[in-house]
Amino acid sequence: MKILCRLTFCIQIGAAMYGQALDLTHLERLAAKAKETADVNLDGAVLKLGAKFLSADDPDQVKIKKLVAGLKGIYVKTFTFENEGEYSDSDVGGIRKQLQSPGWSRIVGVHSKKDGDNAEVYLKTDGPGGGLAIICANPKELTIVNIVGKIDLDELSELGGSLGVPKIDLEKPKPAPKKDD
Amino acid sequence: MSNLEDNLKAALERTGPPPGFSGRVLARLNGQAPPKVAWWDLLSVLLRPPRIQWVALSVILSVMIPFAGVRYQRARRLRSEGEKAKQQLVFAVHMAGNKLHRVQQKVLEIGRMDTRL
Repeated sequence: MKILCRLTFCIQIGAAMYGQALDLTHLERLAAKAKETADVNLDGAVLKLGAKFLSADDPDQVKIKKLVAGLKGIYVKTFTFENEGEYSDSDVGGIRKQLQSPGWSRIVGVHSKKDGDNAEVYLKTDGPGGGLAIICANPKELTIVNIVGKIDLDELSELGGSLGVPKIDLEKPKPAPKKDD
Repeated sequence: MSNLEDNLKAALERTGPPPGFSGRVLARLNGQAPPKVAWWDLLSVLLRPPRIQWVALSVILSVMIPFAGVRYQRARRLRSEGEKAKQQLVFAVHMAGNKLHRVQQKVLEIGRMDTRL
């Protein structure tokens, strides 16, 4: 049994190393507990088919088409729970373990004690193709995003800002008040 | 042998002119515009023997209709799968962008707080 577990872990690590999607199958059991679930698995062929049907007249869809042109897969899992503590740290830990493999690096990690929000962004830069993984966890919601292939983070974030979430208004530094002599 | 003769007779049998032929000849002779031939008269040519056209048409249609049906069904299925994939793609990119944007917002908020401190 131990050998089987180690073998599975090695396969997961190997898949992550070679630009494959993360293994998120262990999260499927959370669907039964969740109030709302969204599960999107778009591998190469389906991704291309979906991209083909994007409208050339809608500016957002044009951006999406451009953004996903070089991607090999997009996988999203979102679980919204009625109560807190319906998922455990080990659920997220399994994903973090896969992201500790060579090639992946954590570029952002945010933890908010106030509202219990945890957000981590991992980027795969070396090896064949690139990749992005986002883990957003708060007491009542867990979201995992895995993108296989090279992606422009600025463009992706811009789409996130234009599709519902208001754009960040960066505060311009105010000029220092002149001191009266 | 007699069959061949019959066939030859049938093939070489004198047939009448198409409808409106004499009218058109007379009209041309008199310098008048030829009378208009109705579309049903033209169609009636098909009903005249030999009816090989009908047999050919039936064969073509019996092959073409199922073929076109299968193609139509396949195109419809592909379209429906494509639309579904498109919706999922838009949702997935939206969700990924949204989460990344929120992380950026949090980082900026922390940065602002640090600056104020």
